[in-house]
Amino acid sequence: MENKAKILVVDDEVPVCRSISSALEPEGYLVDQALSGEEALQKEGENRYDVIIADLMMPGMSGMDLLRAVKEKRSDIVVIMITGYPSMKTAVQAVKLGAFDYLPKPFAPSELRNLISRALERKRIYEEKAPVEEKAMAKTPLPEGLYCIPGHSWAKLEDDGNVRVGIHELYLRTVKNFSSIKFPDENEKVSQGETCLWVVDTAGNLHRLWSPVSGRVISINEEVEEDYSRVMEDPYGSGWLLLIKPLRFEEELENLLPFDKE
Amino acid sequence: MQRFSLRTKLLLSFSTVIVVSALLSLIIGTYLVKTIIAQAQGKVKLDLNSAREVYQEESGNIKDVVRLTAVRFFIKDAVLKGHGEKLKGELQNIRDQEHLDVLTLVNRQSRVILRAHNPEVFGDQLNDDVVSHVLSRQKVVVSTQIVSKDDLERESRDLLERSRIDLIPTLQERPRTETEETSGMMIKAAAPVLDYDGELIGVLLGGRLLNRNYEIVDNVKDIVYRGEKYKGKDIGTVTIFQGDLRISTNVLRLDGDRAIGTRVSQEVYDQVIGKGVPWIGRAFVVNDWYITAYEPIKNISGNIIGMLYVGILEAPYVDLKNRAVLTFLGVAILSVTLLAIVALFTTENITRPLKELLFATQKVAQGNLSHRLRVKSGDEIGQLVGSFNQMTGELQKATEKYQVLTRTLEDKVAEKTEELRKAQDQLIQTAKLTSLGKLAAGIAHEVNNPLTSILINSHLVAEKLSEDDHFQENMRLIIDETTRCGAIVKGLLDFSRQTPPEKNISDLNEVVENTLQMLKSQILVHEIQVKKDLDRELPEIMIDVNQIKQVFTNMILNALDATPKGGWLTVRSQMASDKQFVEITFQDTGHGIEKGNIGKIFDPFYTTKGMAGSGLGLSVSYGIMRQHGGTIDVQSEPGKGTTMTIQLPVTEYQEDEAV
Ligand SMILES: Nc1ncnc2c1ncn2[C@@H]1O[C@H](COP(=O)(O)OP(=O)(O)OP(=O)(O)O)[C@@H](O)[C@H]1O
Ligand SMILES: [Mg+2]
Repeated sequence: MENKAKILVVDDEVPVCRSISSALEPEGYLVDQALSGEEALQKEGENRYDVIIADLMMPGMSGMDLLRAVKEKRSDIVVIMITGYPSMKTAVQAVKLGAFDYLPKPFAPSELRNLISRALERKRIYEEKAPVEEKAMAKTPLPEGLYCIPGHSWAKLEDDGNVRVGIHELYLRTVKNFSSIKFPDENEKVSQGETCLWVVDTAGNLHRLWSPVSGRVISINEEVEEDYSRVMEDPYGSGWLLLIKPLRFEEELENLLPFDKE
Repeated sequence: MQRFSLRTKLLLSFSTVIVVSALLSLIIGTYLVKTIIAQAQGKVKLDLNSAREVYQEESGNIKDVVRLTAVRFFIKDAVLKGHGEKLKGELQNIRDQEHLDVLTLVNRQSRVILRAHNPEVFGDQLNDDVVSHVLSRQKVVVSTQIVSKDDLERESRDLLERSRIDLIPTLQERPRTETEETSGMMIKAAAPVLDYDGELIGVLLGGRLLNRNYEIVDNVKDIVYRGEKYKGKDIGTVTIFQGDLRISTNVLRLDGDRAIGTRVSQEVYDQVIGKGVPWIGRAFVVNDWYITAYEPIKNISGNIIGMLYVGILEAPYVDLKNRAVLTFLGVAILSVTLLAIVALFTTENITRPLKELLFATQKVAQGNLSHRLRVKSGDEIGQLVGSFNQMTGELQKATEKYQVLTRTLEDKVAEKTEELRKAQDQLIQTAKLTSLGKLAAGIAHEVNNPLTSILINSHLVAEKLSEDDHFQENMRLIIDETTRCGAIVKGLLDFSRQTPPEKNISDLNEVVENTLQMLKSQILVHEIQVKKDLDRELPEIMIDVNQIKQVFTNMILNALDATPKGGWLTVRSQMASDKQFVEITFQDTGHGIEKGNIGKIFDPFYTTKGMAGSGLGLSVSYGIMRQHGGTIDVQSEPGKGTTMTIQLPVTEYQEDEAV
């Protein structure tokens, strides 16, 4: 697959489209541009893109509409939503609807590239036969009582009312050469759908992990901090990452999916 | 009928009842009077029977005397052997004893053997119907007979004297030319005198003159009327008439004498004497009206020679009638008056309360609810009046309540208005914040796109430049500033989303200390003296420490900006006077705020600091305070300084929220 992936950039503003294109083209991707959802849909019909990067807020056919239309035709296509209005509701709705991820504006090219690489990795996992060990990993039993942002993070309500937060196995698999985690400070405020920690790969690239809940960080898993392989080994158990005192978990639960429904 | 008042209608209907009852009583009265008179007539008829009885008894008496005397031997002997001293003595004796006026013995040839009354005259032929009758029939007989003047004279002078009656003129009498009556009327009885063989040899004639003989009439009066008098007059009167002339009567003349010599009215005469039909009815007798009964008296030949009369003085009946009529009239008038009074009273009783009610209703309509009616009767009107009073009472109570309510309502309204005004101020502020939120969202979207382009492209340029290119520094600046812009926009978005505060039980003094600590360097730069006056007894309260810290930061920075070097900032914490709030004041000695601008400082983007200020500090602080149920109060005097007072509610420590 290498760098020959075909990418369609959809944004109603030409400078944004161009900027994104020029950030991706040097990487060897084949980048097309569309200025509206309608145009994107038409182009998608003509060329089978690997990745579609679409703005959520567009006049006429919105990014959401486009996502629905595209996913209806091709379930294997990877869609990344970008938005100048990072509202968890629309973002998570998009992910629920099958978007791979979303990226809040403004962002640096590196962030986009990292996301694209993860997206392509994900696509590869779907399309090609994954290595045996990875397959085995995918079969890690899915515990009860876990709620997730699909492909991102999970949350589990503990008896004491706090919420344990961890990383989704699929996320890890899309990050090539996972090296470490950049944790938030204790007592820091986190919001659902916003960055709660960064996943670092061996090349030093930072990947955002969206928090499944809003609240305050009570503690981080120090064992993981000592030995990051724990996350890989037991992502839903001892590989948990944060303990968060939730602010309105009940309310936010409806934005999450039960694990087994993923 | 409509134009009449209720009172008139009532009176009219009452009057109808009155008139009808009066008429009815009159009719009953006259009917009663008529029955009384009818009864009186019936009685008079009976009385006449009684009078006849008495009259016949008298006749019977005379007859018996004559019959019994006629069979005596001395009579026979006298007739057979001629008269002797013995006969004379005997007959005179009997005559005296039996009060006979005539006792005469005649022989078969009607020659007078002896007149007991007048023995000197005898031997003459006696022409007498009664004697003739006995002679022809040989039976004892009695009859009322007219006795001529001559016959009377033969009998005796005093009999003539007694029977002679001067005619006295009276009202309504039957006209007659003579001035005196010289003949008389006598009850005569005759019995045959038989010899020892039973052969008729003579007749004994006895008689009693009726003229001026009051025995019968007074007897009847005594028996029937028992001497009853009415206004000094005898109620009952009895008269024996010879023809039309009163010869024996107890009807009195005006001078009190018996009305002998007066005569009967033409009317009665014509009916009784003329036609032989009894008269029953009203008649004018001498001087008065009587209820009378007349019947003819016949002689032995069947000719009508006189009348027997009884009469009841009409005056008592008339008086009774008059009294009855008067009584009925009186009763009628009385009842009319009474009824009228009652009607008046009743209508008055009905209409007055009604009028009062009407009056009171009008009063109530005019708003006077204190008017009360006096309850007088227990009837429906009384009940109505009672109900009315109750109603007005209730109304008054209700009105009073209503008024009290209105008053409290007015107070409440004023209070609420004040609250509302405050709330409205807050609302305006909130609206401003909301529109700011929308604005921020719009800005975020619009600004983020160019920012995205700038960021990507500056990165791309930086990537193209060699590590030691001197433009690398410039690119770094562009990238950093663009990133900062992105952060600002994100802050704006956070603000616009108004995330609810995450409250924990916290020590406000500690928050103040931490904030001051955080801003230590800025305070130093501004060369401001900070004075802390913290109440260590303050209760811990539920707050979002970060947000409150943000508020305090804004307050302190604003104070620093406003206060020239060497100025003072006093931070004070204390309980509010009502103990419901904890108060933090930031008092500076800065340039203050113009009066006209105080209203604006909470507006988003309002700033006097040009490019140095965003104008969001206070509006964000306001939003945070609002979400904490707190307030921010500004007091400022231009040139002297500003005091910002923050109040946060003291909340009950709640276990679940603290976990
Ligand atoms: N303590 C003070 N003394 C005098 N003026 C004040 C004071 N606090 C606020 N102000 C006035 O209110 C304005 C609004 O304050 P606000 O904190 O909202 O914005 P700012 O301070 O101008 O900008 P920012 O806080 O965003 O940097 C200020 O520009 C200033 O004119
Ligand atoms: Mg300020």
